[in-house]
Amino acid sequence: MKRVLGIILVLLAVGSLAFAQAQAETVDDGKVKLSMFHYLDLTDPVATANWDILLSTFEATYPEIELEIEYGFNEPYHDKLQAMAIANQLPDIMFLWPGKRTGMVTSAGKAKDLSPWLEGKLDGFSPTAVAAQGPNGEIFELPEQVTATHVMYTNEKLMAELGLTLPKTLDEMVAQGDVIRAAGYTPIAMTNGDGWQMQSCFLSALIDRTGGRKWMDSALAGDVSFADDEFINALNVIDVLAKNDMFSAGINTLNYGSALTEFVTGKAVYYIDGGWRVNNLNGELPADMVDYVTLNVFPSVPMENGQAASTAAVAGTGHGMNANLSDAEADAAFKWIWFYSGPVGSAIRQSFGALPAYKIPMPNDIDPLTVKLSEFVNNTPSGYVIDAVMDGEGMGVLHPALQELIFGTKTPEEVGAEYEAWVAANER
Amino acid sequence: MTFHTSKKAYYAAFIGPAVFIYACIIIFPVLYSLGLSFFNWNGYEKMEFVKLANYVRMFKDDVFLLGLRNNLLIVAVSIFGQLPLGFILAYILYRKMVKAQSFFESMIFLPITISAIVVAILWAQIFAPTGLYTTLIQRLTDNPRYIMAVAQDKQLAILPILFVVLWMYTGMYMVIFLASMQKISPSVIESAIIDGASEFQILMKIVAPSMSNILFTTAVFAIAGSLKSFDLIFAMTSGGPAHYTEVIAIYMYTNTFKYYNYGFGSAVSIVIVALSMGLITIAQKVYGFFEKKYE
Amino acid sequence: MTIHNERTTGWRVFAYIVMVFFTLLTIGPLFWLFYSSLKPHQDIIQNIFSFPKTLFFENYTEAWRLGKLGIYSMNSIIYTAIATGATTMLALMTGYGFAKFGYDKLTGFFYKFFILGMLITAHSVLVPLFLLEVKLNIDDTRIGVILPYIAFGLPFLIYLATSYIKGIPSALEEAALIDGANYGQIFRMVILPMAVPVTATMIIYNFLGNWNEFIFVFILTSKTALRSLPVGINAFAGGMSRNYGLQFAALVIGTIPMIVFYLFFHKQLKKGFSAGAVKE
Repeated sequence: MKRVLGIILVLLAVGSLAFAQAQAETVDDGKVKLSMFHYLDLTDPVATANWDILLSTFEATYPEIELEIEYGFNEPYHDKLQAMAIANQLPDIMFLWPGKRTGMVTSAGKAKDLSPWLEGKLDGFSPTAVAAQGPNGEIFELPEQVTATHVMYTNEKLMAELGLTLPKTLDEMVAQGDVIRAAGYTPIAMTNGDGWQMQSCFLSALIDRTGGRKWMDSALAGDVSFADDEFINALNVIDVLAKNDMFSAGINTLNYGSALTEFVTGKAVYYIDGGWRVNNLNGELPADMVDYVTLNVFPSVPMENGQAASTAAVAGTGHGMNANLSDAEADAAFKWIWFYSGPVGSAIRQSFGALPAYKIPMPNDIDPLTVKLSEFVNNTPSGYVIDAVMDGEGMGVLHPALQELIFGTKTPEEVGAEYEAWVAANER
Repeated sequence: MTFHTSKKAYYAAFIGPAVFIYACIIIFPVLYSLGLSFFNWNGYEKMEFVKLANYVRMFKDDVFLLGLRNNLLIVAVSIFGQLPLGFILAYILYRKMVKAQSFFESMIFLPITISAIVVAILWAQIFAPTGLYTTLIQRLTDNPRYIMAVAQDKQLAILPILFVVLWMYTGMYMVIFLASMQKISPSVIESAIIDGASEFQILMKIVAPSMSNILFTTAVFAIAGSLKSFDLIFAMTSGGPAHYTEVIAIYMYTNTFKYYNYGFGSAVSIVIVALSMGLITIAQKVYGFFEKKYE
Repeated sequence: MTIHNERTTGWRVFAYIVMVFFTLLTIGPLFWLFYSSLKPHQDIIQNIFSFPKTLFFENYTEAWRLGKLGIYSMNSIIYTAIATGATTMLALMTGYGFAKFGYDKLTGFFYKFFILGMLITAHSVLVPLFLLEVKLNIDDTRIGVILPYIAFGLPFLIYLATSYIKGIPSALEEAALIDGANYGQIFRMVILPMAVPVTATMIIYNFLGNWNEFIFVFILTSKTALRSLPVGINAFAGGMSRNYGLQFAALVIGTIPMIVFYLFFHKQLKKGFSAGAVKE
């Protein structure tokens, strides 16, 4: 017994030492110290290598600024950011979304408008990227990239082997299903385990075809409704594909990322996901496959009243700063923000396969798929990404409804009516 | 007099620190939640007093009701699955019906030592449409589009989770039961065998009656644990697809941390506590009924 | 003994079937996880069943380095050791107070007050707790993590300690009182030595719980230097990088210590349950 007690006492002693250490604060050395909460998957070798170079370059350029960085990723990042926002403990610099995802910071006035610093600097950016993020034209975060959320990656070799060509219409696409399945392959590899995939990577592009940007603006204003034909026509496309067994088996229970396996192992002809997937494809596609994978948009669908052959795109994420910073701190914080999303940081990120929002020429030694993505983004018209313009809680209604649409337990009309009811009650 | 004062002082010194920490860290926040549950609050705007509106809204929400149903299923599986199974396993070990008892005991208990996050990721990798089990069946049946149909069904999607719950926690109850059985004096069993009692009679007439108290205790654990279950389901399905595997704790998490409805989320967590207390009161009543009957 | 065997043959067959079935259910998935963690990502997605062609230990070194699992393991050890030590000590003291001091009304109230805690989920206190810690200036510190660990560990340990100490004969205590010992001395010299079996159970049980805890560390700390192993491992699932090899290696790293811990201490764990969790 004495031994157990002894152990407990030793542990307590060690513990108090540990506190003492943790509490020891750093001494003042005249540097500007900024805390930062960054969004990074620490387990991603490419992203961390990229980040390390960005940091060391920044430190070499601005030795007078010291960054103290914390990391988060996925849900946990948002949980933490939100807790900090409520407790008024936000860091000096944080990673923000252009839309409503980080609204508890931006809409609550807890992030500074960057416009004063950005005067005359915006021409360098692709226009989609630097659209206003607040009601009075504020820009709370400087986007690092422009993201196309809908790309239909195509395995051209497999397509040729099956005697097929790229379909031009929805009907042609559906007609290919029998051939592809009979050969033991999946027509369209895609995941929808969380519901957002169908909304962000597919429905957003479809509503741009059947309705277009103007229609979405009117829907937001309440002049038209999500129960109207435009939205139903978009949902119909998904319904037709699901009824004809075009998607990956068990699509609604596939975790994000898992359908990539079907595509890179040559078991799927088409693969619908965001443009960011090029990063993984660069790493995972066998060398020869890189040549015959092409980036397309979904073929044309019935009742196109909007933009033809379009994708959906959103200004990317980026860093913003705490509204409470003093002028000196804010200037230092902007140095980082500009470094990250401006010319220097963009060049570094580009060398790791990113497609920066800041316009810089593409170097020659870049991965071929990244070149294809760049061409895709430059040549494809785009509509809104639904969850970037609509409220997040409404997505909690739309996403499960989309899953039920695919299960066949809800009709397109029911999905439209259900979402419209939520939007009408909460968002307009 | 001094004797009594000093006794009181010692009493306070012994229980005081624990009461203080517990009150600050758990009771105060729970009361805070209770208060918050009558308000609408998104974390930064002004709070709005809404009386019982949050509770009314909750019980009108189909998603909450589905979550409630799933939670009650988990409670049922815990009480009518884990406890009897754990009991039978413990009995097998107690009566030394197999060799290498300590090996088997370890193997069955092992899952409880693994963090729920790891267990969830592991089984999700097995049951997923691209996972171990599914791929195996796909190859055996030569049907590349085979998937587990239950996971796609509104009524049945919770089954794989119930299976994992059973897998993870049965060992825990087995060990508790086994420990209690080993306190029964061996001579009682020996003499029963000499009297010609069958194995089933030993189980029902000697072992089971002496376990009534521990059965009640474990039932309480099972109820409390089931209503709190979060980590496992969160990491396995997050309540999806289409809320088919929703449980109340996830419903609360989503509303609080994703949609910033602090008042509503608080109301849900208060309902979780109230439900646990209700179910445990029922368990107590049932136990009291049987106690009386046997006396 | 043959008689004994005959009358239980049916039971024995049944027993072996059940035991082997459960064992396979445990070993199967873990064995698959373990050997898959030694395959590179490419091999895992090409064939989910195949055994590793060569032992690809890079998964482990990479997971350890990228996931900063060294720092996280150290933190896990610190949190778990301190919280477990403190919780056990406090629970024993409280258990002694509840079991031996009388004051039935007060004790009954406080006992129920603690038992209620078993019903409360971490999530329902998260936001108020975070606000409280910010007010007290202990957010993002080790003590800010350890206090909730203690508070959430107390109910069950107090339950174990109280019921066990109730079973210790009061005669010993009374004899010591007559000899002039005070309650502190009785606790040290009589109660603690008698409570060794339940103490072991409490420590082991609480240790497992603290080691696997996730949400408090996640929300209440943000510095990498303060985070623990489950948070580090969770980072490998659901990321964009999609490397199953690294993910599996991290899962194994998170699993092995507790399995080893259990194999060392399972006898003590059982002893305490038998003594503590049964009607006195």
